[in-house]
Amino acid sequence: MTRRTLHIISCMIVGGALLLAAWMMVAAPAPAFGQGDPPPDRNNGYCFVCHAQPDQAYTLPDGTTLDITIDPAALAGSVHGDSNPVRALGCVNCHGDITYPHLDLPPADARSYRVRAAAACATCHTDQAADLADGVHYTALASGDLRAATCVDCHGSHAIQPPDESREHISTTCGTCHQIAFAEYRQSVHGEALFAGDPNVPTCVDCHGVHGIQHPTTALFRNRSPELCATCHADDALMKEYGISTNVFNSYLTDFHGATVQLFEQQDPNVATNKAVCFDCHGVHDIARADDNKGRVVRENLLETCQQCHPDASSNFPASWVGHYEPTTDEYPLLFAVNTFYLILIPGVLGGFALLIGSDIYRRIRQRRQG
Amino acid sequence: MAEKTKPKTYVRFTASQRFEHLVLLVSFSVLALTGIPQKYASHDWAKTMIDVLGGIESIRIVHRMMAVLLIIDSIYHGCIIAYKIIVRGSRLTMAPTLKDARDVWDWLRFNLGFKREHPHMPRFNFGEKAEYLAVVWGTLLMALTGFMLWNPIATTQILPGEWIPAARAAHGAEAVLAVLSILSWHMYNVHLKRFNKSMFTGKISREEMVEEHGAELAELENPKQPRRLEIPPEILAKRERFFWRFAIVVSAVIVAALLWFVTFEDSAITTVPRLSAVGDITTDIDPAEVGDPAKGPDIWQKLDCASCHGERAEGISVRGLPLAGTSLSFESFVISVRRGPAEMPGFNAGQVSDEELAHLWLWLIALPAPGTR
Repeated sequence: MTRRTLHIISCMIVGGALLLAAWMMVAAPAPAFGQGDPPPDRNNGYCFVCHAQPDQAYTLPDGTTLDITIDPAALAGSVHGDSNPVRALGCVNCHGDITYPHLDLPPADARSYRVRAAAACATCHTDQAADLADGVHYTALASGDLRAATCVDCHGSHAIQPPDESREHISTTCGTCHQIAFAEYRQSVHGEALFAGDPNVPTCVDCHGVHGIQHPTTALFRNRSPELCATCHADDALMKEYGISTNVFNSYLTDFHGATVQLFEQQDPNVATNKAVCFDCHGVHDIARADDNKGRVVRENLLETCQQCHPDASSNFPASWVGHYEPTTDEYPLLFAVNTFYLILIPGVLGGFALLIGSDIYRRIRQRRQG
Repeated sequence: MAEKTKPKTYVRFTASQRFEHLVLLVSFSVLALTGIPQKYASHDWAKTMIDVLGGIESIRIVHRMMAVLLIIDSIYHGCIIAYKIIVRGSRLTMAPTLKDARDVWDWLRFNLGFKREHPHMPRFNFGEKAEYLAVVWGTLLMALTGFMLWNPIATTQILPGEWIPAARAAHGAEAVLAVLSILSWHMYNVHLKRFNKSMFTGKISREEMVEEHGAELAELENPKQPRRLEIPPEILAKRERFFWRFAIVVSAVIVAALLWFVTFEDSAITTVPRLSAVGDITTDIDPAEVGDPAKGPDIWQKLDCASCHGERAEGISVRGLPLAGTSLSFESFVISVRRGPAEMPGFNAGQVSDEELAHLWLWLIALPAPGTR
């Protein structure tokens, strides 16, 4: 055996061992959380040899670029980093499908790569993934629309922080794509309060849901929407803080529109009804205070709001909506008078009948006893 | 007159009257069945009823059909009454009199044992008059308030808006009063204390006549008093000629009014399709066909979009969103520009045409999005 042959063999042994070690590190299956397994060999340093180099962009076949620089400090400071109560994740826990050397063909474009990479989240976050599978974003993705949001589009990838700290961060995140809805919401009574630090007002997810977001233009969403608003607006303790009446929901349900919508919601939830729901009059994202003179429901603007559905309505028409008021001698006195009139008339008439019928029965019993 | 020569039964209602009652019975019952659960729609029993009867939209249609049937029955009744009064010169046997008030008092005293004999009551006693007049009053009120609820847009052309909820309250409360009256007063007097079949057979027994229509019986059995005034045939013919002209004109007017009532306004029944949250802005332009992205920058400058959205639509923090490479569909884009979301001013078709927006949109979607992820 020559020195040369020995050298080749030893190089092959060392190289093979190195390759084997790399394969073992990279190809290790992603572990499940909380099962008491020992922590995986993180050894992120192996990846960081290359990926911690600043400002690296990888150009994919279609010309889009992928930022492949990872900030180790940001990763360590993320929810998956050192502060994680269960364990810190290593690169391979999410990127288990990537081998080194990177021999696989790269995806055609950056977006495809992100969508594919986001699938790793479902390994551990199974509940969220199951919810997501029912939601509009996943449905769009599954139908081939790669623009739809994946986990990483909302949560980020390596520097993930808790999604609701601060609360306005939730709506800002949705606003990244839903720009018009966000711009309207930002100026609305809810949006303004959210950004002023109000802890109670709804963010996007409070009405639309988090992962299992349903399409808001379906009959089902529409029929259920009054109850959605009522979760807060019929909550006495919550509304007390704002001096808002919780009678708004009940007064809506006793009205023609509300009574019909509630029947649809309970009996034919998937059948569309054209009777007005809260957001038809109050607005969808741009909800204003009821007394906001730019709002839809302030008396000056109400006619235009009614005309959305009743195009022939005249200026008298809006007053036919009692406006969530309880009729009194001051508010809707005619309605109050009618109610009062029947409150007296019905017992009066029936009382008279009862007297005559009762006395007649009494006489008949008496006569029968006497024979 | 010897007892055995006296008839056992007396004619009380003609076939025509019994038919009227049958139509009233059917329409009233169906109106109550379809109407009462609407008033109490938030209660579980009412929801079950609505479900069993075919759903809210169906029972509303049935309710309106029965309302029309009841109104036609009422018009027919009005014609019959008019004929009897104008042509036959009949007495107003349903008009309440002072004697009725005395009869109520006497009946109560008789029942309680303060009076030995019951009052001798006319052809229509106080209980029947009360019920008849309540039906007349109730039907009028229900038709009027029902019209307002059926045609709220038309009503508020004339009356203040407040009349609509007031009409709704009256319609519902009057219905409750009517149904409870039928279930108590009518049920007791003609079904429970003794099943009075005269409205179906047309005949009433002598025993019932004695108890409930003593005064009428006395009149019938008084040979000196003719039951009906004999009218000379030529006068009768003259009156009938007049009546028919009168009745045809009046009925035609009322039926025309009814037709108008039924078809006046669709709004309350079908409404227009609810306009979506985007309002009624639509465009039928195909941007790929008419648009020219090269013309986009000029329009961008003309509308001064740049002052908020940036020279190259890259967006300016706090002021305007980035629009370069926007994923908005052309339709959403047009709607946004026309409406002007949030702080943005809206631009109408006079300020920028749909075609110009097509140029602008094609230019924007082709621009590289700022900070591509």
